[in-house]
Amino acid sequence: MSRLVPTAEMTLGPFFPREFAVGASDLAAGANDPATGAQGEVIEITGRVVQADGRPLEHLVVEIWQADAQGRFDNPAFHGWGRAATDAAGIYVFRTIKPGACEGRAPHINFLLLYSGLMRQLQTVMYFDDASDPVLDAVKAGRKRLIATREGERRYRFDIRLRGDGETPFFDDG
Amino acid sequence: MVYGVNDMAYVVPPRDARTQSAGVVAGYAQTASRWPAQPAARRPHGISELTGPRAFSRLKTTSADLAGQGARRALGQLIDVRVSIVDEDGAPVSGALVEIWHCNAAGKYLHPNDANDAPADPNFYGAARLAADERGRIELRTIKPAAYPVPDTDGWWRPPHIHFSVWGRVWLSRLVTQMFFPGEPLNEHDHILNAVPDPAARAGCIARFVPQAGSALVYEHQLVVRGRNASPGLP
Repeated sequence: MSRLVPTAEMTLGPFFPREFAVGASDLAAGANDPATGAQGEVIEITGRVVQADGRPLEHLVVEIWQADAQGRFDNPAFHGWGRAATDAAGIYVFRTIKPGACEGRAPHINFLLLYSGLMRQLQTVMYFDDASDPVLDAVKAGRKRLIATREGERRYRFDIRLRGDGETPFFDDG
Repeated sequence: MVYGVNDMAYVVPPRDARTQSAGVVAGYAQTASRWPAQPAARRPHGISELTGPRAFSRLKTTSADLAGQGARRALGQLIDVRVSIVDEDGAPVSGALVEIWHCNAAGKYLHPNDANDAPADPNFYGAARLAADERGRIELRTIKPAAYPVPDTDGWWRPPHIHFSVWGRVWLSRLVTQMFFPGEPLNEHDHILNAVPDPAARAGCIARFVPQAGSALVYEHQLVVRGRNASPGLP
């Protein structure tokens, strides 16, 4: 069967409607409601996104995809997708349920970045602990930068540097 | 409602790099501050990458008529844009969620980042979020966007274009791109369109004009998201 060529990705540009990035950063809304909610530990994930010169990037779009607390991606009570935009200090914040391990993978959250001047989406992955994991093990340099820092009881910090010293490892899916 | 697709027979093959934009683009200064300098790691794909969001309770859809969002019709040439969303097999992505935004007929976005002195149109907002039908199609009515100068550069004008943000079947199918119009002289000079090396891939980003009678000019366009069914036994 002939295969179509995937459409070329292009930058989000500077004029992405700001309201599109609002209202989708709380994946834990309704969690632990005994009747309908997803069960699990509610956590906050936050971080700063900076460019090569260290300047924080405002209104950068961060999207995430993750499993539920049992490592499932098809839980009707938990939609593992979220979106946030960074503020003037380059900070994004998600509220979610801590994911469980699944199919040989350590607990992790997939990150996708979209921004003006990023010609294609950037993909990276956040981990809670350094553990054996086929995706984490594929990282040649900077592995530790994919491990979030615990800040208090239910809060994790995951900073992202697009380019330069301390650059975050990104993944190439071809 | 399906909240995740666990279809492990689905694969996302590598792309030909010539069909995709370079990361750092001459003439577009921001790219050199933002695109990673280190080579990206190739990773194996499993359930985490080959499932994805398929229902978006937190994202509301809107009207498909951007020309009719105001009290009166927006200024400009009325156009209908018929978009089909397919995967690499050509299979329609039914129900695909699509976000759309573009400037008005004077080249102005209603956005705080837009400092151009072109006039706003009180009847044009310029953003929509739509779900494709079961055939993977959306039909957008709007006005044709104009060209505009990129701020902080000397002489680079963006050709008329419409932005698309699309979710395909799985996490790795996410596509953010721009659609261009045929016959626009600025297409030859745009740093973003021409960052794609392969001419056929660039041509795939330009809509097709469909001559026909009616109240609006008609354009057709296809967006191909990443992914296909695994076909054991085929090369």
